[in-house]
Order: sequence, then C-alpha cells, then structure tokens
Amino acid sequence: MHNVKRVRYSAEALAAQRQREKARLKEFQSLTGEVLARKQRKDHSREAFDLTTRLLQINPEFYTIWNYRRLVLLNGIFVESTPTQINDVLSDDLSLTTTLLKQHPKVYCIWTHRQWCLAQVPDGPTASDRNGWRQAYWNKELFVAEKMLEADPRNFHAWTYRRYVLAQMPVKRPETADLAFTKRKIESNISNFSAWHQRSKTLTSLWDAGKLDKARSLEEEFDLVRNAMYTDPNDQSVWIYHRWLVGPGEFVIGDDKGLLEREVSSIQELLDIQPDSKWCMESIVFYKKLLLRRHGDSLGDDERGKLNSECEELLGSLQSVDPDRHQRYVDLSRNHHIV
Amino acid sequence: MEFDAIVLGTGLSESIAAAALSKAGFKVAHVDNNQYYGGDEASLTLDELAEWADIRSGRKDTPSSDYLATQKERYTSISRSESIPPQSRQYAVSLAPSVVPSIGSHIDALVASGVSRYGSFKLLEKVAVYDRPGFVQSVPGSKEDVFKSKALSLIDKRRLMRFLMFAAGEFEDKKELEGKEQMPFSQYLREVFSLNGKAVNAIAYAIAFCTTGEEHTLPVLRRIRQYLRSAGRYGASPFLVGHYGGLGETAQGFCRTSAVKGGTYILGRRVLSVKASSLADSLEVEKAASDSAKTAARYEVQLEDIDEQLTSTILLSAPDYVRPSAPITSSSHDVPSVSHAHYPIARCIAILEHPLVFTPVDAPEETPAPEVEESIEGVEDELSDKPAPPNYEVDTALLVFPPGALPDGSTTTAAHALVTGEASMSAPRGKYILNISLPLPTSDPSSPKELLRPYLEAALSLAISPSSPETTPTRPLFTVFYTHNPPSGAAPPSTPSDSGAILTPPPTQLLPAIADVATENAEAMFWKAVEQLKAAGVRRSVVKESYKKSDGEEEKVYDERKPEEIDSFWPPLDATEEDSSTADEW
Repeated sequence: MHNVKRVRYSAEALAAQRQREKARLKEFQSLTGEVLARKQRKDHSREAFDLTTRLLQINPEFYTIWNYRRLVLLNGIFVESTPTQINDVLSDDLSLTTTLLKQHPKVYCIWTHRQWCLAQVPDGPTASDRNGWRQAYWNKELFVAEKMLEADPRNFHAWTYRRYVLAQMPVKRPETADLAFTKRKIESNISNFSAWHQRSKTLTSLWDAGKLDKARSLEEEFDLVRNAMYTDPNDQSVWIYHRWLVGPGEFVIGDDKGLLEREVSSIQELLDIQPDSKWCMESIVFYKKLLLRRHGDSLGDDERGKLNSECEELLGSLQSVDPDRHQRYVDLSRNHHIV
Repeated sequence: MEFDAIVLGTGLSESIAAAALSKAGFKVAHVDNNQYYGGDEASLTLDELAEWADIRSGRKDTPSSDYLATQKERYTSISRSESIPPQSRQYAVSLAPSVVPSIGSHIDALVASGVSRYGSFKLLEKVAVYDRPGFVQSVPGSKEDVFKSKALSLIDKRRLMRFLMFAAGEFEDKKELEGKEQMPFSQYLREVFSLNGKAVNAIAYAIAFCTTGEEHTLPVLRRIRQYLRSAGRYGASPFLVGHYGGLGETAQGFCRTSAVKGGTYILGRRVLSVKASSLADSLEVEKAASDSAKTAARYEVQLEDIDEQLTSTILLSAPDYVRPSAPITSSSHDVPSVSHAHYPIARCIAILEHPLVFTPVDAPEETPAPEVEESIEGVEDELSDKPAPPNYEVDTALLVFPPGALPDGSTTTAAHALVTGEASMSAPRGKYILNISLPLPTSDPSSPKELLRPYLEAALSLAISPSSPETTPTRPLFTVFYTHNPPSGAAPPSTPSDSGAILTPPPTQLLPAIADVATENAEAMFWKAVEQLKAAGVRRSVVKESYKKSDGEEEKVYDERKPEEIDSFWPPLDATEEDSSTADEW
C-alpha cells in the first residue's frame, strides 16, 4: 500500500500472521463451494442472498457471485415484495457497494452492481411523486462520485460515472456548477487531465446552448491556462487544453490572427525566463505554423519568411532539448505543411 | 538498587534514549526532579506552568539542588500574570513549542519504537507571514498555492516555482549551487533566483524557518527540501503538532515504552548527589569485567527520601543535573551535536479567548462550492449552496514575523508564534495558547516582556476579524514571559577516556528541527551507552519466548545476550493488539 511505512515485525509475529491467514483461506474456500452449489440448484432464497453478502465482503471482485445475487433479487426477493420493500432492499445493497467501494474504488463489478440497483428503483414514493425515490438516489450518487474524486481526483471510473449520473438525473443540475467543480480539481492538481477534459466538454455544451458568453468565457479560460502554464510549464494537459482553446478558428469575435499572435508572444515571454521548456518551443512552432496556414495570404513575403525561419530555429533547438523525439522535429522542419 | 544505566532528566532526548536502552534489554532507572515528565520539553497545565515559573524565579521557595540552580540560570527574567484562568487542567502548554516534519528522524523513531501507537497528532493548518495589523500574507508552499495566488504576477509565479522545484530535488551537484554553498541565504535567493523581498521573506522565514537571512545557503536548502518533501504525506501541510501539548506528551510516551520494558521511574525526587567511582577503581573494575560477567557499579545517585542509593554502570544525563563543579566527568566530545547557533530566546506564553484569523492581504479568489450563474434564467437548483464567505480562522497554526516586520520589533531576527487550540487537544473549547519565540543574537538589556510586547500586540490584532463588528481588542487571559538561555558551553572537564557520563548534547532552537535533533542526539547517546556497557561486559536481558502457564499467567523466558548483537536503534516491534492493519487485507 502507498505511504504505509514498513514496520519490522518479529519472527514470532509473522508466523502467527500466517496461521491466521490459513484459517481465513479455508473459510473462504468452503463458503465459495456452498454458494456455487446453491447457484447450481437455482436457490433464490433469503439464505442464499445472505451467503452471497458474506462472500462478496471477502472478495468483491468475484463477478459470478454478483450475477447470482442479482438473480436471487429478481427471481426470489423482488417477486414477493412491495415497491417500498424493494426500495429498502435496494437501499441496503447500495450501502453495501458504498462500503466496498471505499476499500476497492476501481473494481468494475461493484460499479456495475450499483448502476443495476439504481436502474431497478421502482416508481415512488407516491403516484404523484413517481421520481422521488430516484431523484434522492441520484443526488446521493453524485455525492458519492464526488467523494471518490476527493480521494483520488484522477480516478477515471469516478469521472465517467459522474458524467453518467449527471445524465441520468430526472432533474438536471446546471452545468455551470460543473465549471466550479472542475476548476477546484484543476487548482488542487494542475496535472489532472480528466478535470481539464471534463471542463472542455462542459464549456462546449454551454457555448452550443448559448448559455454562456463565449468571448468572455474564453478570456477567462486563457487566463486560467496561462496561470497554469507559468506555474508548471512541463504539464502536458495544460498545453493540450490551450490547443483546444485556440481551436479550429470559429470564434464569435473574429480576430483569430490577433489571438494567435497574442498567445505566441505570451508563450515567448515564458520561454524567455524558462529557456529549456520544450512545450513552449513546440507550441510556438505549432501556432506560428497555424498563423501561416490560416493567415498566410494576408502576411507579406518578409513576414512569412521570418515566421518560417523562426520555426526552423526552434525545431533545431528542440532536437537537442528533447532528443527522444529528435526525428519528429526533423520531419516537421522538412514538411512545412504538417503541423 | 543496581541498574545498568541511570538516566537523569525526562526531557525528550533522555526519554528516547531510555526507551531504546530498555527495549534493548538493559535495566534502566529514569529519574526527574520534577513531578512531571518532559523536563525542558514538558507540557504543563496552567497550574503547573505557574508553579514552574515561580520555582525558577525564586518567588516560591524550594529546597535547593544542582538541577534547580542550573534551571534558574536557564530561565531568567520570568514574569507572569497573577491569576490563573479556570479550567487550568484542560490546558497543555509546551515549554518547547515545535512542529514535527512528516519526514524525518523523529517520525521514524515514533514508528519504529511503537510510541506512535500512544500518541496522536494534528496537522498544522497554516503558516502565514504577518503583514500589518489584522492581516497576514499567505505563504505559497505548494504548486496549488502558487497557481491560485492572485498576489503573484505570472513571472513571479514562474520564478517561485522554479525555486521550489530546485529545492525539492537533488541540488547538491547543480550549477545553481556551485560555489555558493556558504552564501547568505537571502542574498542567494535574490541573485540566483531573482526573487524579490516578499518572496524572500516567505521562503527564508516561513518555509525554511531561518533565524536571520545570513544563514548559509546549503544547510537551509537541505531543510527546505525536507519540508517540501514532507508535504502531502499526511495532508497538505508538512508539519504535525502532537496532541496534548506536543513534545512533552511524546516524551511521556517514550517513558511509558521504557517502563513497559522494565524501566524504573522516579519522579519528583530531588537528586541530592551523583558520584562516580574513581578512575583507579574503574580501571580495576574493567580488568575484572573482562574476566567475568560481573559488573561493578560506577555511579551512585542519592535521591531525596529514598534511603537506598541507585547504582549503575553508566550514566546518561541532561546537562542541568550535572554542574561543572560536580565530581563527574563527561565523555569526550564525540557525541556529535547537530544543533545550530545558540542564542538566548525571549519567550511569551499567552492564553487567548479568541481564535486568530489569518486574513490574507490579497485574498485569493476562492472558487466556491457549486453556485448558480446569473446567465441561467430562473433555474432554481435546490442542490446549490450560496458561496460561503471564506473562513480564515485557525486553530493550530504558525505566524511568522520576518526581520523588520514590526516597526518596534527586531530588524535582524525573525520571530515565530505557534497558536494551538482545542483541535490539538491542548486547550479547552474557545481558548487558544499562543507561544512566541524571538532569538536574541545580541545581548539586550530589555526584559522579554518589553521585547515581545510588539509581537504579542501584533498577534492580538489578528484575534479579531477586520470585518467583524467587535471593536474592543482582545486581551490575553494569562501571560508568562521569560528568557530561555542556552546551555553555557562550559562543559564539565572531559577526560581522554570514553568512559564518562553521557550528557545530552544541546538542543536546537529551530522550531521545526527540535524533535529531529533531539532524536538524533538520543541516538548518539544510545550508541555511546551501548559502547560503554559493552566495555563493562554488561549482558542484556531479552525475551526469548513467552508462553501461557496452566494457570493462565504469561511466563517469559529471558535470554542473556551480548551488547555486540545490537544492530539497530530499535528492535523489531512485537505484534500486539494492533493487528488491525492485517485485518484490512480482506
């Protein structure tokens, strides 16, 4: 386990530990035998259900037993229950998965069982409030997903799950809340690619729906990403986000050329105080080539020539600063149309 | 009563050494003049603190002893408030305020000795630099802090990050350091990293905890590296503060371990005399010892109210128990002292009724919890909270005064103030202990009260939030001022032989280094002790096996082993009740 200091135990202590493990192993094997036998017999009783609980608590990755548990619920327990009772059973099962997820946050079958439970929630509690139970569960889901992201902000299971939850909620949360959420995650770790990624999805959705002033929002994003660049020029996710921001060139305010020039000069300033930054150099080449490609016609021959030679020079430096990708830079300088 | 080792004083170093010796199988007697554990690092209730002050100031008449005479030189110019606040026993005031880095020799010793099981810790919440009445400058100590800061320009951010990355890595061979290892640190920051005044102050005094900006660069960088790497181990801050008063509680934990392993504890009895057998006798004894396993006592300690003398082969002692005039020789100076410069320190302990509020001068824009944007019309979302105003109250935190921070404070030396509240289990709810220390490199006739008054007032200015309606400034419920003088450096005469008493090397005054240095000193003392015990032919008693007898009682069989086989500071831990870690495997 990470960050658990190795403690020296005496030989007697280790021997005692091995003894205990042997006993547990025996228990596990006999329990497994019994549960599988019952499954074979299609035993869908309460007793069988409780046995699967015990077994799953010992080994939650045993997906066969999860499947069996679901069969027991569908064919046994649900058949003889009222909607309220079903809701209670599902609630208990969700608690079980929560406990297990705390210790095993990346086990797929626990997540799938959770989703299955949520899909099983019956209408209720009343005829007039048919989504009441569901809404409560989905709210809690969001809370759980975000709690997982507190523990490990780069757990992509949790990010994916969070998107799923937001999509499933009967009453949707405003996407602007998402902006605040991703911002906090980025602040606590600039390297969090998942957070930047989520942010880009949210922004796109908000811009397309016209819910956010794109120009102002873009400025804020450039400000954010520039702060990140200066704080850590080595972080790949920052540069990739920047590239996405500069984008394919369809803006509300149409001064793409001005934007590109401004960004190049900002990155150049950073390069001046951090002369070994490969990302700065590579990005400047990228954006200068973009300038040439998109606006080459409006530039004079002199300017075009200057931009080209500046790119050549940087690509030369890159070959020594980033020798692992030496050949790529050679290729880039040979083929001017490849960006 | 015969022992292998007598240890005088239950300060942190002595307690760690006693625990290690007991665990190694030696018979230890551990003695302290005071009624409490911890010596100069003790954690005291307010009543105990008042008595501590009165005894040393001479206000309370106490029977004399060498220890007390030295303590009166150690702590001078003592003054205190007359009346003691109620709930006195719920306070744990530390005589040696400190923070423990999450990576370092002290934490290692806590884990390896098992004493970590006895104690618990609070993560230090914040470190801030005093700016002006009511305001502090937050100290960016991590990438996140730098990223979020609104006070730093983009270029400042890059420069600061560049320094932090450099200091966290392997800088010993880097060209940025070459030839500049002895350069004054503040100059180094300005010249090599182009950092300006505020950044220099934050780094030198609030990250490295320098006393002055003149400290040599290399040792400062090493400290910074230790603290940067400590961040994130248990939480965002690199530092831990022990519950129930910090180091005093920890010292007690080591004493408890020692007692569990058979150590004998005698508190609250004056040490009346300490005698060593003469050199001639000891030579004879050593010759005899090489022939047989019989060990002869070399030290005799007489305690108040105890008829029988304590005798032992070796003696470890806090220097305050052994006056230069005493007939004791100390061992030659190869117990290395890792401490830093030693100045007297002016100290103030104050009990406050309000928490300190660390309001930043340039409050960074806190990204609030989910909010509703105005551009969404009419969407009422029951889930969203209105952004709460940021709360800058602290419970357990450190306030730093760089040189020149106060118009009437020191212009050359930094002061540090540690505040601890209920969350560190050192004060009752709603009360806080403020502990200010100001090193005094040059002698100053002013009293500690005069010297520290500006710092106390500045700290109190933070006890009221600038936006709160209260206008009456808060006053402390209780204060103690005193000067803490370092050991006088006039060591007892040392003999060429290595067989003298083992005195605790001087502690460091650097707040975050106190625990680590005390631990390293303890380890040095331990090895010296083992060496002497080996030379005297003393065997140690180690549990070979233990089993349950038919009447249910546990029986231990002891094995006699030679000291030569001791290969580490701490033996492997016994697996005991705390096997919960293995239970989690499932």
